[in-house]
Amino acid sequence: MGFDLAFALSSVPTILGAVGTTLFVALVSCVGAAAIGFLFEMVRRVGGVAGLMIGFVIDFIRSTPVLAWLYFLYFVLPFYGIRLGSMTVGVMGLSLYYSGYLAEVFKAGIDAIPKGQPEATRALSLSRRDAVIYVIAPQMLRNIAAPLGNYFVSILKATPYLAVLAVPEMLGRAFDIASETYRYTEPLVVAGLIFLALALAISQGVKRLERRLLAVGTR
Amino acid sequence: MTLIDIWLGILQGLGTTAAVTAYGLVFAIPFALVFGVAQYLTQGIARLLVTGVIEFWRSSAVVILLFVFYYALPVVGVTLSALTVSAMVLGLNAGGYASQAVRAGLQALPSGQKEAGAALGLSRPAILLLIELPQALIAMSPTFVNTLIQLVKATALVSLVTLTDMTFRAKEIAQVEYNPVAIYTALLLAFFIVCYPIALAGRWLEARVAAPGSRSGGI
Repeated sequence: MGFDLAFALSSVPTILGAVGTTLFVALVSCVGAAAIGFLFEMVRRVGGVAGLMIGFVIDFIRSTPVLAWLYFLYFVLPFYGIRLGSMTVGVMGLSLYYSGYLAEVFKAGIDAIPKGQPEATRALSLSRRDAVIYVIAPQMLRNIAAPLGNYFVSILKATPYLAVLAVPEMLGRAFDIASETYRYTEPLVVAGLIFLALALAISQGVKRLERRLLAVGTR
Repeated sequence: MTLIDIWLGILQGLGTTAAVTAYGLVFAIPFALVFGVAQYLTQGIARLLVTGVIEFWRSSAVVILLFVFYYALPVVGVTLSALTVSAMVLGLNAGGYASQAVRAGLQALPSGQKEAGAALGLSRPAILLLIELPQALIAMSPTFVNTLIQLVKATALVSLVTLTDMTFRAKEIAQVEYNPVAIYTALLLAFFIVCYPIALAGRWLEARVAAPGSRSGGI
């Protein structure tokens, strides 16, 4: 039994049908991770006991595997009576896991703004709010756009982990086909190739964005 | 089952986790060095081929890669143990990431280094081995440490292909003992205890490499 190309092609529509779920999960997780990560970084910047604690939480998250977090949330939440759908748990797991990494992205993005910029806003007696909105935030966004895009690709590539929670994304669909037909190779290869194509396409988009943003910076 | 039983049970999987990591490095280190250097030295079609191999291992979703090779290799007549397949897939994935650090480290060196080697009459391989690689590898060492942590964490995946690592043990214990909080907290802590010291070592390295007057940072 080698690789059956016709069977592989016949599995493409079913697997591709789940591409929407995969992209949706990745996008929501990315937004969630960015929100939690930004919050973490803001608390860490304020410092004090809360800052130290959040710093430790970030280190803890970054030192533990995403699969362990998914199991943790999936089995521990119901223990406390919190019953959520597997997709919600999956999105929570990916958001929490990647928030540790995105906090570092925000840190680098803010640290990279030259000291003269906030000083200049004070010299011009801009309000704190205006300084953040018109001076700090745009420069931070320019600094973090490319790393954020790269982490979106990482999150996309982590969505097949959710197949272990029975979320119907592309790998889950591939396994459905495999268990119906007892042929694993073809659907798995198809799912792998679709993921590879998506990851490469988005990476290229991020690279282009990075080049454009760099060009703006040197104008 | 007491907490101690749970901990001892999970630690029984530490050997497999360590074995997959060590065996994975056997694939990762040569791949990163050979392909990183090849990408740096080649041009045109050769570089395209090298980049293609790197991108396959780096940009694919590692979850799917593991399943594809686990199920597909026997179909084409290659029977490897689950340990070997896991180490190969996780190792080459990590190696793909590390190869980019090798290449970036080489590219970041001032061209005067290479020219000085040529002026001293050294051959091209000697310049690479004696002048360029040592500096590039030292400068990029913090990145390699991060990749090592990623590799250790990725070993949690091997629990999905029947290897009894720490994650697999945690799931086994969870089947006989309904105590998800203790079991999965112990699993997260076990990974933290393994990975956090590596992360701290990486930070120490980073501070040393970046210090003014250090061999690689001061050039």
